[in-house]
Amino acid sequence: MQPATQAWWFAAGRLLGTVLFGLAVGWLFGKPWAGLACALVIHLAWQLVNLFRLEWWLRHRSYADAPDVGGVWGEIISQIVRLHRRKRFHKQRFVQLIRQLQRSTAALPNGVVILNAQREIIWFNRMAARLLDLRRTADLGLRIENLLREPEFARYLAVKDYSNPVVIRPTTGEDCYLSLQVVPYGDGQQLLLVSDVSRQMRLEAVRRDFVANASHELRSPLTVISGYLETLSQDPALDGDLQGPVTEMRRQAERMTGIIRDLLELSRLEETDEVVGGEPLDVPALMSTLRKDVLARAKHPRDVRARVDSDAQLIGDEPEIHSAFSNLVDNAAKYTSPEGSIEMRWWVDDEGAHFSVTDTGMGVPVEHIPRLTERFYRVDAGRSRATGGSGLGLAIVKHVLQRHGAELEVQSVLGSGSTFTCHFPLQRVQQPQAAVTATG
Amino acid sequence: METADLSHHISRRFNEDLERVRSKVLGMGGFVEQQLHKAITALIEGDSTLGESVAMDDYQVNNMEVSIDEECSRILATRAPAAGDLRVIVAIIKTITDLERIGDEGEKIGYIASRLATMERPADKYREIKHLGRVVSEMVHDALDAFARMDVESALRVARQDRLVDEEYEAIQRQSITFMMEDPRTIRRALDVMWVVRALERIGDHAKNISEYVIYMVHGKDIRHTSLEDVERELRLGAAAASGVKAAES
Repeated sequence: MQPATQAWWFAAGRLLGTVLFGLAVGWLFGKPWAGLACALVIHLAWQLVNLFRLEWWLRHRSYADAPDVGGVWGEIISQIVRLHRRKRFHKQRFVQLIRQLQRSTAALPNGVVILNAQREIIWFNRMAARLLDLRRTADLGLRIENLLREPEFARYLAVKDYSNPVVIRPTTGEDCYLSLQVVPYGDGQQLLLVSDVSRQMRLEAVRRDFVANASHELRSPLTVISGYLETLSQDPALDGDLQGPVTEMRRQAERMTGIIRDLLELSRLEETDEVVGGEPLDVPALMSTLRKDVLARAKHPRDVRARVDSDAQLIGDEPEIHSAFSNLVDNAAKYTSPEGSIEMRWWVDDEGAHFSVTDTGMGVPVEHIPRLTERFYRVDAGRSRATGGSGLGLAIVKHVLQRHGAELEVQSVLGSGSTFTCHFPLQRVQQPQAAVTATG
Repeated sequence: METADLSHHISRRFNEDLERVRSKVLGMGGFVEQQLHKAITALIEGDSTLGESVAMDDYQVNNMEVSIDEECSRILATRAPAAGDLRVIVAIIKTITDLERIGDEGEKIGYIASRLATMERPADKYREIKHLGRVVSEMVHDALDAFARMDVESALRVARQDRLVDEEYEAIQRQSITFMMEDPRTIRRALDVMWVVRALERIGDHAKNISEYVIYMVHGKDIRHTSLEDVERELRLGAAAASGVKAAES
């Protein structure tokens, strides 16, 4: 039998005993009912005393020294004590868990700041305090943008596109760069991740400088070599056996000049990542120039069309846009057989302006499309070299478009052709004056 | 019941307005800080394009000042703030004036930097200017931090630092005079350098002003034209009195 059940039986037995005892004593004195009442009052008083002790004990929360009462009351008290112990055990486990979590986030090599919906600081770890110069308790509740005042960060918050981190350069630190990223989560809360990217930025700068300097240094000797090769190839006294090798050398020297020119252009484009302003450009005129260029090639597709669906102008940097578009058209011409066709198209809709080049060439396998704009990326080893490309054309296109806030879209079906489309945002489009006056 | 709710609603909206203006002021401060940093970098590295871009971008600072000014007038007119809130608005109106002046001085430095970039650079590569520039940039940064945190201690520290800037200014001035006497051909450049140093010294003054507005905002004490020692003593007395009142209350 369980102790609790035993206690209840005992209590019931005791009540029965009290009743019988009261009746017996009362019967001795000839008043059994008064005896019973007296016994019940005594029993009730005893229960009240126990109730009072229980309440007093709970009120004072002295769980350690529980009153020593037997029976049902003792059972109740021991149940309460057990409940309390279990609660305390769970609480300790939670506290430990929270401490562990806090310790692990505090030890993260990156800064972490928790922000609420108003972007007020709720919590941050040690690294965040060090990188952002935050103060332990004093800065809780302050808005993050009040302390991180760099205009780039303000712009990042205003645009609300948190898919990529933003790199800021704090004005107080020497040559220090911080990468910041906001990660929204839960109920309007935000996590701000901070990391020190000074080293990466410096390495990147060193790499850029190296490429630019190396290309520059290579250009002068190459010019001399090309010059001599050109003279040599036109020399009538040149030995017949050497004719072939010299022509090939000349061709390769030209190709190398092309690569260096493209490398220099790329490093120039990389210097500034900002969107350039620029003048309104006459795209249809540019397209007819590009068409003539293609037709002037020794080997060109029979059918080259320029389809102009809008006379809107594009606001941008003329040499850059020209270079990007001509790279696209060049590519199309290179990979399309003489029987094929190329179509350029220029149109404007609600989303912005679009320039596309469609060819009926060999196409690009789908798995290669995402990597096409990487430098020197080749779909297959033979392709680019055979056609004399530098392998940098699409990288240049990508950079120019990035600088103009535009995007490159590639669609391709293997064996039947590709379409390269440039999507320009609406603020880069200028409707021509003539059209405005004609409609107005 | 209804009126209580309404006033609560109004005060919350008012707080939001105030917070937004404060954030705008600090955003303007961040832009000014960056302008100053760019201007000094342009001068030290002889980057004329950067210097020109600083001079070109100054109009943005002016636009921000006008927009914040309008917002403050609107708040004054529609909400009629009192006590601490009124002090915040007054301090903001004054702060943006100083920030705008810092922007102007930065524009001046950027302009001179783009001109000096074409000239021969001195052997020390403007080491003094670099040092002074860093001190002054930090002052502006700390003053704005104090503004964001309502931190009187830091504000006082900024105000104290202004003396250092003044001393540095004197030292560079003497040095420039020596150079000019030694070799009169450097006079033109030395004069330009003096303009820059003068601008930096003025920026230090403006940063000091901003930190004074922070003290005004928090304690309601106008400490302009008062010696720093007096200010500190008074603030300490005020703090002691305040804590005494609190102790008596509790």
